[in-house]
Amino acid sequence: MMDLMLFAPELSLVLTGLAVLLIGLFIPTESKKILGYIATLGVIVALFFTVSSLGTQATAFNDTVSIDALSQFFKIVFLVVALLFTISGIKYTEGNSSTEEFFTLGLFATIGMMFVASANDLMVLFIAFELASLATYALAGFEKKNPKSLEAALKYFIIGSLSAALMLLGISYLYGATGTTSIPGIAANADVLVSSPMGLVAVVLLIAGFGFKIALVPFHMWAPDTYQGAPSVVSALLAAGSKKMGIVAALKIFVVALIALQTEWQIAFAILAVVTMTYGNVVALNQTSVKRMLAYSSLAQAGYITMAFVVLTPMALGGGIFYALSHGFMKAGAFIATAAVTYMILSENKDSTDPDHIDNFRGLGRRMPITALSMTVFVFALAGIPLTAGYMSKFILFSSTIQSGFVWLAVIAILNSAISLYYYAKIVKYMYFLPTESEKISEPLPYTIAMVIAVLGVLVLGFWPEPFVYWAMEAAKVLIPGGF
Amino acid sequence: MLPILSLIVLIPLIFAALTLLTKTKEQARSLALVATVSVLLLTVYMYFNFDSSIAANQFEELAQWVPSLGITYHLGVDGISMPLILLNAIVLPLLVLFTWNDERKSPNKFYACILATEGAVIGVFTSLDFFLFYVFWELTLIPLFFMVSIWGGPNKHHAAIKFFIYTHVASLVMLLGIFGLYFAAWDMTGVPTLDIPTLIAQFQFIESGIVKDMIFLALLFGFIVKIPSFPFHSWLPDAYTEAPTAGSVLFVMLKIGGYGLFKIMLPMLPFTASPNLMITIMAVLGSVSILYGAFLALSQKDLKKMVAYSSVSHMGYVTLGAAGLVSLSVSGAMFQQFSHGLIMSIMFMSCGVINNATGTRIINDLGGLAQKMPKLATIMVFTFMASLGLPGLTGFIAEVSVLAGSFVNLPVYVIIALLAIVITAAYHLWALQRAMFGVYNEKLGTVFDINSYQTLSMGIIAILILYFGLNPSPVLDMMLTNSEQIISLMAVMGV
Repeated sequence: MMDLMLFAPELSLVLTGLAVLLIGLFIPTESKKILGYIATLGVIVALFFTVSSLGTQATAFNDTVSIDALSQFFKIVFLVVALLFTISGIKYTEGNSSTEEFFTLGLFATIGMMFVASANDLMVLFIAFELASLATYALAGFEKKNPKSLEAALKYFIIGSLSAALMLLGISYLYGATGTTSIPGIAANADVLVSSPMGLVAVVLLIAGFGFKIALVPFHMWAPDTYQGAPSVVSALLAAGSKKMGIVAALKIFVVALIALQTEWQIAFAILAVVTMTYGNVVALNQTSVKRMLAYSSLAQAGYITMAFVVLTPMALGGGIFYALSHGFMKAGAFIATAAVTYMILSENKDSTDPDHIDNFRGLGRRMPITALSMTVFVFALAGIPLTAGYMSKFILFSSTIQSGFVWLAVIAILNSAISLYYYAKIVKYMYFLPTESEKISEPLPYTIAMVIAVLGVLVLGFWPEPFVYWAMEAAKVLIPGGF
Repeated sequence: MLPILSLIVLIPLIFAALTLLTKTKEQARSLALVATVSVLLLTVYMYFNFDSSIAANQFEELAQWVPSLGITYHLGVDGISMPLILLNAIVLPLLVLFTWNDERKSPNKFYACILATEGAVIGVFTSLDFFLFYVFWELTLIPLFFMVSIWGGPNKHHAAIKFFIYTHVASLVMLLGIFGLYFAAWDMTGVPTLDIPTLIAQFQFIESGIVKDMIFLALLFGFIVKIPSFPFHSWLPDAYTEAPTAGSVLFVMLKIGGYGLFKIMLPMLPFTASPNLMITIMAVLGSVSILYGAFLALSQKDLKKMVAYSSVSHMGYVTLGAAGLVSLSVSGAMFQQFSHGLIMSIMFMSCGVINNATGTRIINDLGGLAQKMPKLATIMVFTFMASLGLPGLTGFIAEVSVLAGSFVNLPVYVIIALLAIVITAAYHLWALQRAMFGVYNEKLGTVFDINSYQTLSMGIIAILILYFGLNPSPVLDMMLTNSEQIISLMAVMGV
């Protein structure tokens, strides 16, 4: 019973998810709007439980799951993204007969992510990972009549399964070498891992597996298609939520379990970080679809976060973790703003084939002032303009990179950051400076609420980062208890 | 005591937000006037309570912000920043007056941009913490970006993006330098801090010479691009020319690059591993800018472009004077920043008036304007004289101090710069002669002289140019105190 109390946030999501599913079966489509509100409420309750249990330190279920500063931090990230997802989902699912599935899948995906954050055993981690992944595969293909959405889901599913297989194979090698799947247990067998080639094989397999999930180049091929094809609200969940799940899992596996093989994987991550951020930024320059542009920018951002694996100081890891939270707000916000625009375009013209084309952002500053202003905040934050969460994250992460002597890496990252400004500024240019004849329209309320929350998050993290930086640093200490 | 520095930074920023919410031009411009005048009054109050005889920071405010990273909210002013704050505080209300009767789209955003720029620029001048400094430094970009993009000329998008990316890259390089300094000091003391005076003081204890030089060069790059100096000046003519008149004036107020040279670079200079190399770099960039900018200005057909290039030339004196490393040249360079701000404001206002009245800025298409626009002609001739360095006006004091002062240490570079004086006189007089005098070009149709608001604002600035030209000591004294302190530091280090 004690163990269950520790999982109040997850349990409240499970109950909400089941309730939404059941209620949805018995009510007509037109009143399904209520499901979105219920789901939102469930997430808020889970968020409340998580925040009120901050500082708890415990393990449960035979040490396979642990509640600590790291898991708490990432749970908050996932719940924040889930909150934005459910609020904006209220508008997205309007009049859709499968509303209950949409929210239940979203909530279950979040539960999976939260369990990944608290996993202390590779089997739990893997199962939680798959719970989240399966739910998101279905969500990506939620628009059953839209071929792009189906393609998105199919690509995501096939690549996702492949990466799961690689990951599982990697885990089995680790089990073979050390005889345990417990994360601290593997770390304790450092000597075996270093002496046997099995450890190295596992590292290669796991890097490939996680590379797919985090969408690191060259394992990224699915990401632009999936982010573009999936409904924008789902893309928000994928880019801002499930990608962070990959990062927290990678932190646990590499930084905790496989720390003995640090020299082997560190260099791999250095190369992946550089290639990913550069490729993402360069390709993003020429995109005409805003969602695709955000997808490539998401690659670039993942490249920055990967730097934390290279630098491996408490400050860099804290910076990477803080970055994950900031990115949750920025990226989810940007995709939701795109969702609002897509919604507007589709309500004007049902047959529009590419509602997220950048031309549709023309004159948005006049047509949808709140959306345009929020989008401006998100893209400026993603570009790292000061007093936003994005700047604070880059400040910590890049500066810690310099601190530990990886000046070349920081220089590449900073140059990349400068390139990225070009395409982010392009969106602002379209919204405010290019004329359009179209009329001003009233902005959909749920999207607006979600965007305002995200804007507040971006600004609070930028203006008053101290408590969050402190939490992120505490979370980083879980990874490297004694420091380096 | 009143947190006066916070007030002069926050009033414009808060009013910028309020102005955005206004509906009519009347409301927007009134709010802008209230904000800028309040800043002026506070600044004047501050000026009279400022002790010019000490070089230390005054009116300091200090609060913790992100203690775990050593970030503080630390403000203060000294003789380097005070004159520049004064410059902004004086010109901005006059700029609002100047635009009082203008018709333009979204006046609320327009005045919000003016106020946001004022707050950000004064923020840079008052920050004593690198984090805060960088925040305001980057914040200056955003309103100016919008200023050019929304109300600019035909090539506005290109100019805005070029300006934004160019100077943002420079800022990032500067940020690298800040990081380097931050961690080098952190490693030595074990305590993180971004406090500017502390970090400057700790710079000398960094062991590795290469690290010191890299930090210095990275910071220098950021400042040099903002000044801007040859060969990093190419964003300036585009941005200055495409910006609306008020935007050009705001660009002129953006004296943060030169400010960085005096406030951060010079105190660090004696402790670099190769100070002579750094001095040479600055001297070369300064003198080449003076000459090259003047040549480019000479060849311009567009009056506003000519003024923009003359700005490159005039700002060269700032870099050269800083490298001159005697009290006279350094204070002269500081004075040049102040003087250039006043003079260029009128120059750009004149270009804007002419463009509005005649529909063109091409010098050869104008002609005889003085007959139809006597008030403008009077002020313009006066300002052009100040710009080419007529004795008795501010430009003369600045340039003579820089040239005479720098001659001691940098004779060759001063001789290069001297060549530019002839060219400077030539393009100023030639442009005046073609645009303002001679036979009136009838093709221009009916043109009206400047209105009373414009006369008032341009007139006040012109009077200040004369006043500070005859009696520079009210601002020069503060600058002298700080430049003497810098120079005495050099002398101790034997540079």
